[in-house]
Order: sequence, then C-alpha cells, then structure tokens
Amino acid sequence: MPARRSAVCLLLALALAARAAADLPRVVALSPSITAILLALDAQASLVGVDEVSARVEPRVRALPRVGGLFNPSLEAIVALQPSLVALVPSAQQRDLRERLESLGIGVLALPNISYEDVLNSIAMLGERVGRSAAARARVSAIRAAFREASAQAQGRARVRAVLVLQREPLYVVGRGSFLDAMLDAAGAENLARGFADPYPRASLEWLIAAAPDVILDAADPAAGASAHWGHWPSLPAVAAGRVEALDRAITIPGPYLDRSLAELARRVRGSGSPQ
Amino acid sequence: MKVLTARAAALRLALLGALLLASLALGLAAGPSALAPGNALRELFTRGDSGVAADIALRVRLPRVVLAAAVGAALAVAGALFQALLRNPLADPYVLGVSGGAAVGGIVALSLGSALGWGAAAVTPAAFAGALATTAALYAVAAVRGRVSATHLLLTGVVFNAFASAGIVFVASLAGLTEGTSLFLWLIGSLSAVRADAAPIVGAFLALGLGCALPLLRDLDLLSLGEESAAQLGVDVARVQRVLLLSTSLMVGAAVSVAGLIGFVGLIVPHLLRLRLGPDHRLLVPASALAGAAFLVLCDTAARTVLGGRELPVGAITALAGGPLFLYLLRRQQLHSGAP
Amino acid sequence: MTAPALAFEDVAVRFGTREVLRGVSLELAGGEVLGLAGPNGAGKTTLFRAATRVVRLDRGAVRIAGTPVRTLPRRELARRVAVVPQDVAVPFPFRAGEVVLMGRAPHRTGLGFETPADVERVRACLALVGIESLADRSMLELSGGERQLVLMARALAQDPEVLLLDEPTAHLDLRHRAVVLERVGEFARAGGAALVVSHDLTLAARSCSRLALLADGVLAACGAPAEVLRPELLARVFGVEAEVFDAPDGAPLVVPRRAMQVPGT
Repeated sequence: MPARRSAVCLLLALALAARAAADLPRVVALSPSITAILLALDAQASLVGVDEVSARVEPRVRALPRVGGLFNPSLEAIVALQPSLVALVPSAQQRDLRERLESLGIGVLALPNISYEDVLNSIAMLGERVGRSAAARARVSAIRAAFREASAQAQGRARVRAVLVLQREPLYVVGRGSFLDAMLDAAGAENLARGFADPYPRASLEWLIAAAPDVILDAADPAAGASAHWGHWPSLPAVAAGRVEALDRAITIPGPYLDRSLAELARRVRGSGSPQ
Repeated sequence: MKVLTARAAALRLALLGALLLASLALGLAAGPSALAPGNALRELFTRGDSGVAADIALRVRLPRVVLAAAVGAALAVAGALFQALLRNPLADPYVLGVSGGAAVGGIVALSLGSALGWGAAAVTPAAFAGALATTAALYAVAAVRGRVSATHLLLTGVVFNAFASAGIVFVASLAGLTEGTSLFLWLIGSLSAVRADAAPIVGAFLALGLGCALPLLRDLDLLSLGEESAAQLGVDVARVQRVLLLSTSLMVGAAVSVAGLIGFVGLIVPHLLRLRLGPDHRLLVPASALAGAAFLVLCDTAARTVLGGRELPVGAITALAGGPLFLYLLRRQQLHSGAP
Repeated sequence: MTAPALAFEDVAVRFGTREVLRGVSLELAGGEVLGLAGPNGAGKTTLFRAATRVVRLDRGAVRIAGTPVRTLPRRELARRVAVVPQDVAVPFPFRAGEVVLMGRAPHRTGLGFETPADVERVRACLALVGIESLADRSMLELSGGERQLVLMARALAQDPEVLLLDEPTAHLDLRHRAVVLERVGEFARAGGAALVVSHDLTLAARSCSRLALLADGVLAACGAPAEVLRPELLARVFGVEAEVFDAPDGAPLVVPRRAMQVPGT
C-alpha cells in the first residue's frame, strides 16, 4: 500500500530529523578563526554564542549572544548559554577557563592555530564535533591540494626573497613554524625571517635592512600606510623596485580558506596581482 | 581621654562584617547573564532549583565572589602590614617588589612553560615561589645583624621592583606577538575563570599570614614610634620585621600568583580605614581584611556587569575607583597638616 | 651594700672601625639625678643605647641593680628602664594619649587591650606633666615642645626604676622646663635613678646631684657640679673659653665667652 509506505517514510524522516535536531551540538566559539571555520562548514545552526571580535567582523553572527573578548571571556555568559561545546584557541591569560568549563560538564575543544597542521586539524576536529566531517574533509583536501599545486609551480622558479610583516612598529614578522611561513614557502618565497625560531618574532629594523628583502609583504593595519612607512627606507631593494605589497589583513587569519589566502599571496609574491 | 577598647573594636569589626556580607550578596545577585537577572536568581537559589540558574549562582558566581573576598582581604592586610613595617601610610603591597617577583615567576613559567611542555598549572606555584624568593633576597640584602631599617628596606625594595619590571619587559619583548599580549594581560589582574580551588588556597594563606601577624598587632603600634623606641619599649624588632615580611609575602604571593597584579586595594583600604577608625593596628588590621574583601567583591561585581557580556579586568576598576579616591585623601591630608 | 641602680662597667662600643665609647665606667644610685654633658658626637646617646640593649657592646657590661642588661628579657628591661628621646616622628595619626598608653605596653599581660588601671595611670602621667588637654590631639599636630612633654609622660607611665632623658627640655618654654625638672626630682626622691643629658650646663648644675662630662668616648670628669664646672676643664672638653660664676645661692653659672682655636681643625 503506497499511502501507508509514504506515511511510514514520512514518520521515519521526521523521527530522524528530530533526533538530528536533538543531537545538534550547542557550540560557543571564542575566536574569529573558529567562527570562520564553523561558518565555512555550514554549521551556523550549531553556534549559540561567539566572542566580541567574531561578532564585530562577521555579519552572519552579529545577532548571536556575545560572551566577552578574546582575552577575557565571561564564564557566566558562556554557562548561561548552556553550550555542549566551547571551542577556543588556548592562551595563557584565559587562566583556568578550560578546567572550569570542564568541571561544569561543558566540553572544551582547545585548538592551537600556529602551524599549518594546526589549522587543518582545527577544521577537521570542528567538522567532526558538529557533524560536518565530510565538509571538513573536503575543505582540508582542497587546502592540501592548493598547497601541493603551488609548491609544484614554485619548484621551477627562483625563490623570491621576502618578509611578511605583521606589525610595523614595533616590527613583528612571520618567523619559522607558523602556517604563514608554510604559505610563504608554498607561494615560492624565501622567508628571510626563517632564522627566528619564534612563529611571530619581534625583529629589529636593522635586521630587516641588513636582510635586504626583494619583496616586503605588509599585512599590517592600516594597509594604506604601507608604502608611506617603507618609503622611509629607500635603500631597501623592495622599496627601490616598488615591490612593497600591501596585503589584506584577512590573509593572516588561520581560518578555513587558506587555499584562497595562498592564491592571493602567491600572486603578490610573483608581483603579477593587483591588491584585492 | 579616648582609648580603644576591645568592645569598641568588636563593634566596628561587626559593622564591617555586615558590609562584607552585603557585598557578597550583591556579588551573587548581579551578573551579566540574561538568564538570571537580580532578584529572580536569588529566588531560584533559595528554592533549591537545579539547572542553569543554580549552576550560575553556585558554581560560577559563588567561587568567584569568595575568591574576590579572599584576594581583597589578603591584599588589604598586606598593605596595612607594609605600611606599619615601612612606617609610611603610602606604602602598598607592591612597593617592595614582592609582587614583581611573583610576576616574574609567573611570566617565566608562561614563557618557558610552552617550550618545556608545562601546562598553565605551573604558573601559580612559579609565581608564588617568585614572591617568596624575592622576600628572602630582600631580607638578605637589607638586613644588618638581623634587623632592617625601614629606609634600607624601602630603597632595596624599589631597586628590586625596578629589576623585576625590567625582567618582565625583557621576557615580554622576547616573546612573539601573541604571547607578548598574553603576558601583559596576565599581569593586569583579573579574577575571571580562575580555577575553582583558588579561593580556598588564597584563603589558607590569608589565614596563615593573619595568624602570624595577629599576636604582633600591638607591637606594630609601638613600631610606629621608631625602631629604637619600639625596642626600648620591649619589642623584638628583628623578629617582628621577619614575621611581617614572611606573612606579607605569603599573602601577596598567593594573591598575585592566582589573580595577577590588582592595584590600589592594599594602598587605599588601610589608608581609608586609618582615617576613619584610627591608627591602632589591633583594629586596623582585622578591619582591613573585612573592608578589603568587601571592596574587591564590589569592584569585581562592577567588572563583571558594567559592560554586559564583556568583562573588564578588575585591576582597571580598582584603579578607576581607587585612584581618584586616593588623590582626594592625599589632598585632604595636605590641607590638614599644612605639610608639603 | 646594695648594687647601684644603673652601672656602666668599662663600656666600649664600636661602629665599624670607629670607636664611639672607649671604656666608660659610671654608676648611679637610686634616688640620684646624674647630669651628662659633652660635645656633640661625644657618645652620650650611644651610652643610652648601650643601657637599653639597642647597640651591642664591644667590651664591658651595663647592669641594672646588679643584673647585666644582656641577660634580661626585653620586656622586663623595658619595665625597668625608660627612655625619653629627643623627639619622635610618628607617621600615623596617633593621639597623644595613645602614645602615652604605649608606655604601659611592657606591663601588659597576654595579648589583650590595656586595663582600666593602665588608662588611669596614663591620665595621671598626663596630669603630672601638665598636658591633660592634649590627650586627644593627634601627634601630627603637636609642636616639638608638646611632643617632648608627651614623651616625658610616656616614660613616666612605664613606671621604671631608671629614667634616661635625652635633652628633655630642649624645646620647652621656661615653665615646662621647670615642670619637667621638678618631675625628675620627684622621681629620684621616690627612689628612682635618673640620667639626664643636657647641653644647658647651668640648668644641669642646679637639678643634678652629680655631673659627668663625656668627651671623645671617655669620661673626662664626674663629680659635684661645682668641682666639674671649672673653666680649664670646660676648655679642654668643649674647646670653649667660659667663665663660671657663682649664683646667689651658690650654684655655678656657666657663660661661654669664645670658641677656642683648636689646632688642626
């Protein structure tokens, strides 16, 4: 009897949907990169609360309850949302937030986001916890493929001697070990700051001048000030050759679209792209 | 002739105790969560309802409020004791560099910790060890034949402080972009999301420190007359100084290692109380404990609620409240005494 | 023979390499007021510190009624010896009455507050020195002279056997100068021993039964004022040309004329 079968199917579907809804995790994201990943994985429905910065930069979560800044989340605000999972990037002055949340029965996912593998891991772990494993795997594959391809393209060419600047004054650059360093490598650049063991070390201007990069990739705020700032040092080869590239800060986010960031970075390293 | 009697002291302490209870109640009732505003929360609490509201009251706010009380009491008592030791009403618990030592300890643990694989759990004991080590070093450098003169102590302490500050800046500048910010924010002083057992720990050290100091409170009055006069009145000055240094370093070390550098409490609370209650330490020191606790609970409540979901670091609130208050007191004192 | 109330036996005190006291021997009997004078830096205050165990002796001993000061517990020493220092800098707003009450501290038992008897004694001492009206005034507001009177009252409140006074009349007006010296006299008549440091030789001569001159860490002279206050001795000790007259009642009157040129200074 077709009618009864469709009724059964309908009931089954409803039951499954209900179960899925009940299983839907309630996630609080405490970092803009984590928010970006969740949104990229189409897990917006799971998000019940975000940090201040995420709410400010991402229009889609602007209406969500806020639980405090990156460095001073409010324990009470988080608990009030009754989340099943809190996803955060671990840092020292969160103090014992993790322990407190766990002792209150709230799951915590601590996702460091320094290295390339860290970021990919974040995508995978988040995907798993919000039931979007397939989407996560796809995203990770896309990123890995992009990196492989870029590296292959860079093989035949000479490496561009470059520095990626995160802050102009005092000078912070991308050193060794971060995902940005991996990105520079895949983009065909020779990261002159590789000698610093720190992922985001503070360097001296003297060092930079001595290193004489051919390209300065400036991702500091405000982007418009880049050429004016570096123009003070015309002895730098990058400045002389007009190769101070002002990058969109978004490139430095350890988020879900590293492939796109890589593509943009590679264009700017090669010098064949216009600023986005 | 006005003289402090045990009964008068007890009465005033009882009043301050009531003030503390009121602040604790306010701290429990107020908070940023939209789910449990003010009175509704208290009703739920007394009805013994389980669920989010009770969770927030009992497991989020209560530990925090108790911690604020313990840290506030520890800092205020340490401030009063330092003011007695240095014979200076403007001394605070940080002037001798004990807190600088704690901060250095904590920062070293933070920086080395990530490299060596220690967890965040290493920070608190490291900070505490830093505080005690600084006090020991301070005493070793400034003491002559077991006794320290207040001036030597102060000068040595100032140098230690400068040294600690330089050390902190050094470590922080070596750190990368994200760690550097992290270190400075740890230093600022905040009671948010501290481990749940922090309050009993600070409370234990507060009790220990107070316990050491309580038998000596009258001797502190005598010490105000000068080390020589105090000795001539029968005070074992060297011993009193040692006990004071130990007691304060225990309390300040515990407070700073758990909550970072929260300023003004140790300076303002004893100073204000002295103006209102008189300088007798038998009343001033216990009163500082109660009033310091209430003060920090109130400041922390403000820090938690003023900006909605965001939290201000409580050190910012104590400075905002304490700074102008202190200037006002200073001005009053200037006008009163006519001294520069 | 009873032991002297206070005895310095060959007391030597050294600060680093500098010898401040180089073997001073001095005795006070109960009921006696001994004046102590000498140039600045002679070691007078150090002598007081030796008696109250504030400095360590290089050599010799100080005894209270025969018992070495070194062997007495601090509190007991404080019950038996009281010091009136030159001044006190109180950083906190203690009231005058509270400071005098601190004089009872060596007598308190247990950790408690002072007894009503203590408070009564304090009131009495304030009255003795004539400053009951200052009892509730903050020490920070008092003049130098008023503070000295408070310190005098505090020392009396300690009920000591020995009273050591360091220039107790330096900032006082004529009337209070007389009051303090009268109280010291009464204290002695009641059996106490008093050692008074004074720069005012004439006043010292009138109020003390004996006078001691301390110069350069040693005792230059000790005896009746008339014997000690001789121009040649004053010249040697103080480096000053002075004339000594006899007041109508026979007590010496010292008038300094001219500072002498000391070779090598």
